[in-house]
Amino acid sequence: MAAGVAAWLPFARAAAIGWMPVASTPMPMPPQEKRKAQDGLIILNVSGTKFQTWRTTLERYPDTLLGSTERDFFFHEETNEYFFDRDPDIFRHILNFYRTGKLHYPRQECISAYDEELAFFGIIPEIIGDCCYEEYKDRRRENAERLQDDEEMDMNNDVTPVNLTFREYLWRAFENPHTSTLALVFYYVTGFFIAISVMANVVETVPCGTLPNRSKEISCGDRYALAFFCLDTACVMIFTVEYLLRLIAAPSRYKFMKSVMSVIDVVAIMPYYIGLVMTDNDQVSGAFVTLRVFRVFRIFKFSRHSAGLRILGYTLKSCASELGFLLFSLTMAIIIFATVMFYAEKGSTGSKFTSIPAAFWYTIVTMTTLGYGDMVPKTIVGKVFGSICSLSGVLVIALPVPVIVSNFSRIYHQSQRAEKRRAQRKTRLARIRAAKIRGTNAYMRYKQNGLLIDSLEEEAGQALVGKAPSPPFESQHHHLLHCLEKTTNHEFVDEQTFQANCMDISVMNKTGSRASSLSSSPHGLGSCCSRRHRKKSSFSLPSTNNQELSTIQIRERPVANSRASLNAKLDETVPLKCDEPYITPSMVSLSAPVVTSSDGDGSTTTAYSQSNIVRVSAL
Amino acid sequence: MSTVRHQPEGLDQLQAQTKFTRKELQSLYRGFKNECPSGLVDEETFKSIYSQFFPQGDATTYAHFLFNAFDIDRNGSIRFEDFVIGLSVLLRGSVTEKLNWAFNLYDINKDGYITKEEMLAIMKSIYDMMGRYTYPCVRDEAPSEHVDKFFQKMDRNRDGVVTIEEFIETCQKDENIMNSMQLFENVI
Repeated sequence: MAAGVAAWLPFARAAAIGWMPVASTPMPMPPQEKRKAQDGLIILNVSGTKFQTWRTTLERYPDTLLGSTERDFFFHEETNEYFFDRDPDIFRHILNFYRTGKLHYPRQECISAYDEELAFFGIIPEIIGDCCYEEYKDRRRENAERLQDDEEMDMNNDVTPVNLTFREYLWRAFENPHTSTLALVFYYVTGFFIAISVMANVVETVPCGTLPNRSKEISCGDRYALAFFCLDTACVMIFTVEYLLRLIAAPSRYKFMKSVMSVIDVVAIMPYYIGLVMTDNDQVSGAFVTLRVFRVFRIFKFSRHSAGLRILGYTLKSCASELGFLLFSLTMAIIIFATVMFYAEKGSTGSKFTSIPAAFWYTIVTMTTLGYGDMVPKTIVGKVFGSICSLSGVLVIALPVPVIVSNFSRIYHQSQRAEKRRAQRKTRLARIRAAKIRGTNAYMRYKQNGLLIDSLEEEAGQALVGKAPSPPFESQHHHLLHCLEKTTNHEFVDEQTFQANCMDISVMNKTGSRASSLSSSPHGLGSCCSRRHRKKSSFSLPSTNNQELSTIQIRERPVANSRASLNAKLDETVPLKCDEPYITPSMVSLSAPVVTSSDGDGSTTTAYSQSNIVRVSAL
Repeated sequence: MSTVRHQPEGLDQLQAQTKFTRKELQSLYRGFKNECPSGLVDEETFKSIYSQFFPQGDATTYAHFLFNAFDIDRNGSIRFEDFVIGLSVLLRGSVTEKLNWAFNLYDINKDGYITKEEMLAIMKSIYDMMGRYTYPCVRDEAPSEHVDKFFQKMDRNRDGVVTIEEFIETCQKDENIMNSMQLFENVI
């Protein structure tokens, strides 16, 4: 928390005297120093290297090994020092953490060794300072990936888990053909049939000799029409079955149907079914022949079998805008040159440049350095512009390749970095928030514990400590925060309580007031939590903090004390406990009047349920 | 990073000027030097240190006033001597000296009178330290109401300002304030 500036706590506490004259309520008592903190030197012997530090330095972090009594286990009587059989190089950093409050990660150390040392000394790695945190996290992630890779290699030889449903099993078999022999067989069979189908499509257009009664050559498709038809039917049946199986097995059918691969599947098999339906109609059969073109889409089904195709598709998709712009600029150049060529060649006789769109063909062929030669300029002006056109074509074509490559690499790296930054930022903010919440919660706990211990002591008349007292620094800090609360007559609450309070207003606005005295105070309750005290057990509040629950239970015992200030404290802190499920605030607050102290504070009974603000003595 | 360095006066002189023992001065200096290796605290460092004790709210304004109260010679930085002299008053001084110090803190322009505006600024800065999540919620009028209560108590002759005599007299009559002044005796 603020342990890094622990040395300044006495100053902060002394400066609190500045609040005293303006405070409207009496201040809480400071925590008792059970023993005067001996500020002695401690010798830590780590595998022969001696470190020395002040005792108070180590005790800044009481939940670590060195800061708590756990270190007594390592005390070596003969030499009057604490001996640890650990790595002294890493220990240096751990000790620096106590001194400066910041934990650093040395780059040359192995991440696992460092983690082990941290775990041994009870320090959580999350508090590594910002300067070293990124490096630490990177190394840790690499390590985890390495471990995971090792695990995966082992896992590939494992037997598949038995408890998958049939549908999940089927989907897994489709997505990952290596999982079972059946899936592998199916994978190769479909691949084979895709190849067969594509080849059949190609071969059936090859001329295959002549029929005896015709002089014209006919294609193989027409000659062996039946064979090709049977082959096509078989392929389409396999593809249909495959598609239906995938559809059944898909975890999200809608998503599956939207995916590119399924669209390709559908387009590949549709022509066949349409052809089945429409064979009789002669007029539509022309269109049917065109539909056969779509059969070539079957070749795209190979992308399930080849990762390279998939990556290419993704690249094109991601560079789509650049490609579009390129196309646009090319179109501009084509139009410009076609226009120029048309007007240049207008005069010559028998020129093929009959119109500007006709000149497009020439421009494209020239710019891409194809040069078919079916259209050539005849005039001198035309030839001049024609050469300019082909030279500029080289340039224009040479441009796109590096652009696409650089775009691809830029986009790829950008997305990597953005992801990384987002994840780190989220974790960092979460850490900061968690630290703040920890601090607040610690303070809340202190308030109940402090009262508990004090009240127990009052009762028993001796130092009855139910649980370990908090370290002197923390209790002093909490006392300081408590004084601030008293000065302003407001209390610290955590965020959940605050939200709950503000919701309560709307909920409880309807309930009537039980005690007239409560409603009469205009200032007392302000805007929030005005009716909490009157709530009965029927109102159940969300339970968020279990620790407070246990301490509240202890506090049900009637607390008799003579100090008005303590009594006041008990009442005031009650409203905070709005997150217990069944212990109602009203119950505890009701006990207060029963518990009237021996000096009969009648004022406290009326004032107990009002907020602390109104209880003022002299003002 | 400033290259200004300041070494404090010797231990003996400080012991003579303040009411701390030798050991106390040693431990105070060690803590001071740890946070401010150059020997001087400037306002930014001071604010950041003080804010660490009040994580829920914003302690910078109050820290600013505190800084001015400690920086006696108004040179923009606190040396160890200023620090220790101020602490000596707060922890080992008589009640009158403490009250004097508190008056000095509230009197922002050090003219010997606390006006309502000065008090309101101080009060707002104290309430700022509480932050957002409080019970009950801090309303906007809370600081000024608090100031009004304060003036009602302190301003005897109702002239709109509080002088040092009124302040000390009223505080000495108030039992709560007198008790709370003794609260931090054994802080070191």
